[in-house]
Amino acid sequence: MTLLSQLIQYTISGLTGGSIYAVIGICWSVVYLISRVLNFTTGEFVMLGGMLTWGFYRAGLGLVSAAMLAVSTSIVIAMALERIAIRPLRFATEMVYMMVTIASASVIKGVILLTWGSETRTFDAFIGTRMIQIFGASLTPQIICVISLLIVITIGLSLFFNLTLFGKALRACAINLRGARLIGIDVSKFRLFCFGLAGGLGAITGIFITPITFTGYNIGLLAGLKGLVAAIIGGWNMVGTVLAALTLGLLEGFGAGFISAGLKDIFALLVMIIFLILRTLHFSYKPKIRRA
Amino acid sequence: MINKPLLSPLSWIIIAMLIALPFITSSSYILMVMVFVAIHGTLAIGMAILLEHAGIFSLAHPTWFGIGAYVAGILSVRQIVSPSFGVAFSAGVVALISYLIGAPILRLRGYYLACATFALLLIVEMSLGQLGSLTGGYEGLMGIPPLSVGTFTVKTDTQYYFLSWTLCLGCLWFLSNILNSRVGRAIRSFRDSEVASRSMGVDIPKYKLQIFVLTSVMAAIAGSIFCFYIRFTMPGMFGFPLLVELLTMIVIGGGRTLYGPLLGSFITIWLRELIHLYLGKIFPVMKAEVDAIFFGIIIVLILIFIPQGFAGGLERFFHSRSKAFARFQRAGK
Amino acid sequence: MNNSFFEVIGLCKNFGGIQALNDINFFIEKEKITSLIGPNGAGKTTFINLVTGIFPPDKGKIYFRGENIAGLSAHLIASKGIGRTFQLEELFLSMTVLENVMMGCHARTRSGLFRCGFRISSARKEENFIREEAMGHLQLVGLEKKFSHPISALPLGERKLVGIARALAMKPKLLLLDEPVGGLAAHEIEKLINLFFMLLEKGITLLIVEHNMPFVMSISHRIIVLDGGSKIGEGFPEEVKMNKKVIEAYLGKEVY
Repeated sequence: MTLLSQLIQYTISGLTGGSIYAVIGICWSVVYLISRVLNFTTGEFVMLGGMLTWGFYRAGLGLVSAAMLAVSTSIVIAMALERIAIRPLRFATEMVYMMVTIASASVIKGVILLTWGSETRTFDAFIGTRMIQIFGASLTPQIICVISLLIVITIGLSLFFNLTLFGKALRACAINLRGARLIGIDVSKFRLFCFGLAGGLGAITGIFITPITFTGYNIGLLAGLKGLVAAIIGGWNMVGTVLAALTLGLLEGFGAGFISAGLKDIFALLVMIIFLILRTLHFSYKPKIRRA
Repeated sequence: MINKPLLSPLSWIIIAMLIALPFITSSSYILMVMVFVAIHGTLAIGMAILLEHAGIFSLAHPTWFGIGAYVAGILSVRQIVSPSFGVAFSAGVVALISYLIGAPILRLRGYYLACATFALLLIVEMSLGQLGSLTGGYEGLMGIPPLSVGTFTVKTDTQYYFLSWTLCLGCLWFLSNILNSRVGRAIRSFRDSEVASRSMGVDIPKYKLQIFVLTSVMAAIAGSIFCFYIRFTMPGMFGFPLLVELLTMIVIGGGRTLYGPLLGSFITIWLRELIHLYLGKIFPVMKAEVDAIFFGIIIVLILIFIPQGFAGGLERFFHSRSKAFARFQRAGK
Repeated sequence: MNNSFFEVIGLCKNFGGIQALNDINFFIEKEKITSLIGPNGAGKTTFINLVTGIFPPDKGKIYFRGENIAGLSAHLIASKGIGRTFQLEELFLSMTVLENVMMGCHARTRSGLFRCGFRISSARKEENFIREEAMGHLQLVGLEKKFSHPISALPLGERKLVGIARALAMKPKLLLLDEPVGGLAAHEIEKLINLFFMLLEKGITLLIVEHNMPFVMSISHRIIVLDGGSKIGEGFPEEVKMNKKVIEAYLGKEVY
């Protein structure tokens, strides 16, 4: 391979990874902004999407209906999670929310392991497997699906948040929860909706990436955490998250290509830690300002 | 716990029972499980101090445990130092690493600290797997010799039982002394009100770092004893499942009391053994992740229904009882 | 070097473009009660936060017993002998009343992690010393019977007293009181006034930030008035009462 074809190969694989992290990052921020819950199950829904589709597909459904069934199951599970585990803990501290979502993630993961074992699974790509050749770089068509998924989700969500009344009310909640409650917005209903939205989007992402990266019971943690990296660096807003995720994906793509594929996950997490520490240097100590 | 005499009659009874146990039973299985209780209890006590008393959301505790185990294991497998020095070395190495990492990372607060330490946990787990030539890779490090001090070798379960419980109760004693002292009040104060704490003259970063390094070193010592006991380590033993297990211990026991996590460790480890004993035949795979299903459900249920944990719940129960009794006595006069 | 007991020179602080304090100059006389008054948003609490090092000033100097303490971190300033109470108490809710007051002794005691952990005799002695001192301060404010209560069991007035006892346990030379009588009943205020004069006799200088005008007028030797981040008046209570600018700030401009 020439250097040019290598560069193209790594760029495309980086963009693919970045798109995935972007959608997952959006899932984190949707839940975080509405409920201040850092939902550690986010990544597990990516795993659930892929695994459930595989399971339904194997049970005899068509790929499309299996996928739709998997997404709706994930949404139901996410909403159930909110109702069963998050909602009864009213006025809990951040730490309690964190423990509960970590615990729920481990439950989801364990149940899938128990049902379908620890092998990696996959199913057919959506639009064929014939490689596309660009300047000597060979790409699977599934990559096009993943990147267009990101575009569709970003455009769809921004239309939803900016044009519909429901979406605007959600943004109001994200800006000021108590204020939103005071003007009569039913925050608890919105929280349920956001958990469902995050679960559904996560599952869709999981379905789209399975033909490329394969899926297994234990992919959720890392996938989720990288989305979190993007959400944090992007400052919890959508544009920022997408930009951060694509940058992270590209860094990872080139890092995997030129340095070592085994270290790319470690590298992504290191980026997050370093970013978080650098962030404290700029905005060091900020107490609540009370003036008499 | 706080402001109460440390060694109440009840704790003397428990210590007596712990000492008597190896003489009552000769089952090496029970002793083995009790060694695990002590080792995980040491971990859970340290982590609970960070989470509940100091307000430091650190999830990296399994990491210090793992690094401790690996340093001691590698040094003694390669016969660089004798196993007893391996314990000292692992404590030293972890003290250094946790100091160097803690100094910048403890500037973070709340969720961000949790994210960073969670990332640290995964980074170390993956690195242990990737550095195959040094650590034995994902298959694990084999052939660790038993712990020996000079010519004396710690071999039997009973010996490890006493060793691990001495460590565990020693750490408990040490931490309880600290929490009831000037340093401990400073550590508890910044969780309540940071501004007031600073105005009282507490150097917050210094105390955060001190308690962070101290509990990490305790975890490392527990880790090195753990590796000499089971003579084998694997990166997967120090990852997410162990984190869930530790959280279960803290949640079951209730982190606001000092002995709570130890009680939690006792319940959790025995529960795990029961699950393995009775459900092992039903389920095809019996991995740590399957245990985590039960632990996850327990965490959620307890946080919803008994948020202060069993130890906290018991204390509240006795407290209200003694209050009611005092009222009853006053009414009688 | 500066010979005054406490003096601020050209103190400025900005919060994201809002001038919270603008070129403040004044001094405090030793062993007197000085009051800092001003309408809401005048920058009084900001001033206290700057003096105690909760955040550093943008510009200016703060001299305390001949030493510039501006920009030092809070724990160092605390150990130099400046104690404070808080508008919203800021007590340590997970501790008992006694432990809260014992926290005040932190800056004056020395035992470290290992001495406390191993209960070396020097650490035990220090602990007993702290406990007795804290009890003494609780007696001073009349709360010695409630030493083992949790903070949440106390009414507002007693919480304020715990806050004062905690600050006294620091053995301060200068005590900054942020709205000590806010929300208290008349007889409680009476008790506090007695307490403050007792502290004065012990050689503690007081700087009181307050809204309650009758209280301020009755207790202060000197009054400093802030408005919108600037000093608009200072002097003896009678002078301040007659000061036109002060009346405007409090009652609004007269309209002709």
